[in-house]
Amino acid sequence: MLTIEKITSGYVEGIDILWDISLDVKNSLITGIIGPNGAGKSTLLKTIFGFLHPHRGKIKFEDKEIQDYHPYHLKQMGISYMLQEFSTFPQMTVRDNLSLGAWVFRSDRNLVKKRLEEVYEFFPLLWERQTEKATYLSGGILRMLSLGKEIMSKPKLFLVDEPSSGLAPMIVKEIYGFLKKIAEQGATILIVDQNIMKVLEISHYMYLIEMGQVKQAGPKEDFEGNIREIIRESLIDK
Amino acid sequence: MGVLYCLMSLGVNFIYGIMKVINWAIGEFFMIGAYVQYLLIVFFLGVRYWYIGVLIAALCTFLLGALVQKILIKPMFVGIIEEKMEYATIVTIAMAILFRNLAIFIGGPFIYTPPDYAPPTRIGPLPVSGNNVIAFIGTIIILAFFFYFLKRTWIGKAFQAVSQNRPGVLTAGIDVLKFDMIAFGIGTALAGAGGALLAPVLLVYPLCGVIPTVRGFEIIVIGGLGSIPGVFVAGLSLGIAESLGAAFINPSFVDIYGFGLLMLILLIKPYGLFGKPERSV
Repeated sequence: MLTIEKITSGYVEGIDILWDISLDVKNSLITGIIGPNGAGKSTLLKTIFGFLHPHRGKIKFEDKEIQDYHPYHLKQMGISYMLQEFSTFPQMTVRDNLSLGAWVFRSDRNLVKKRLEEVYEFFPLLWERQTEKATYLSGGILRMLSLGKEIMSKPKLFLVDEPSSGLAPMIVKEIYGFLKKIAEQGATILIVDQNIMKVLEISHYMYLIEMGQVKQAGPKEDFEGNIREIIRESLIDK
Repeated sequence: MGVLYCLMSLGVNFIYGIMKVINWAIGEFFMIGAYVQYLLIVFFLGVRYWYIGVLIAALCTFLLGALVQKILIKPMFVGIIEEKMEYATIVTIAMAILFRNLAIFIGGPFIYTPPDYAPPTRIGPLPVSGNNVIAFIGTIIILAFFFYFLKRTWIGKAFQAVSQNRPGVLTAGIDVLKFDMIAFGIGTALAGAGGALLAPVLLVYPLCGVIPTVRGFEIIVIGGLGSIPGVFVAGLSLGIAESLGAAFINPSFVDIYGFGLLMLILLIKPYGLFGKPERSV
């Protein structure tokens, strides 16, 4: 579904964060990316979603080259991206926040309504608080709102950046439950998280990135056996 | 009278809300709106159709503002990592000087007096200028439309969203740079409409935007930068402060009372009446 071919990318010309990185995200699977701080995990997602354009290399989504596309094109093509920071609008109600997730098909009122109902069904807590402003919500519910907003467009490919950051373990468990459910409903997920055990738990395929390059790749089972060593070697010693 | 400057403040506030750029050339867009209106009602439409003139003046300043944004300011916002708001602000100062001098170059250093929109009238026992009444009503109508547009329409909500979380807007699939351009256009159009409405009151000359700019910024600071209801309340209180000062203290110092009010408000509420302290990292 998504193929990344030897991309080099970074925030400033001349200083590259990702070096000739290649990876493959297969249809309706959850692909997890782990790696130490500063490895380029978030940069990779930003590059896929057009926040950054790669200096070299190609990104293909459903056989189309998308490396020069802007976020609004990619959203229309069926890619969604949940930021590490909250992507919600603090002074707007829960309902308006979700509605804006439907921006790309806003002219189809019935579809917007239908998707809104689906998201409320998915997150009953959001339904209960639909008239409240986002600024009054707790971190956990805000994360749900971010998720809800991004799945309003029913993405084919969902990029998820650090869904557990800043949340209590109980809520992290809940959020991961939602992600699993989203995948079961047919979305392909590419997830990046510091919480390695959680990523391992839901992913089918994994990548370990270090210093902007893929260090290890393989199905979940390859990682499961020696995850402690991987953590010790790549994430603690350096 | 304070309410009459609200459109200026709203223009500045709206652009600031979306792009975090203060447009110091707003008074010059006011001036351009006034010139366009003068040309229209004197040479083309006649004074009877002044309201059509206001709409056309707003449209012209919208197009000019959007064009200027696209050519001069947008390049500083491409690439999401570091937006150069300070640079953009300085560009608007340069723009102000350019437009003023262009106005002198094209129209000469003369004061043009457009015909009155309405004859003097009375509100109860009070004689008032018909132009002021029209400018007041026109301002209220435009404010109401603007408020409705912002609160009720998809595009208005998207504008609110852009002002609250730019990355969040990008992930929703909204083309933020296009919204920047339209926002700049709308902000300048509000000033242009203000200029057209006030043309018979403040007259039309190259520096006619300067006093409204000062008043406009006074209103913004009193109301709180970025707050739209604040603009209206501050406009009203500024007008009341000036009138009371003129009536009970001394009418010669009318410009001072507004600043007195401003200092008083800032002492009590440093972010203005409706302003919120911004969270920063």
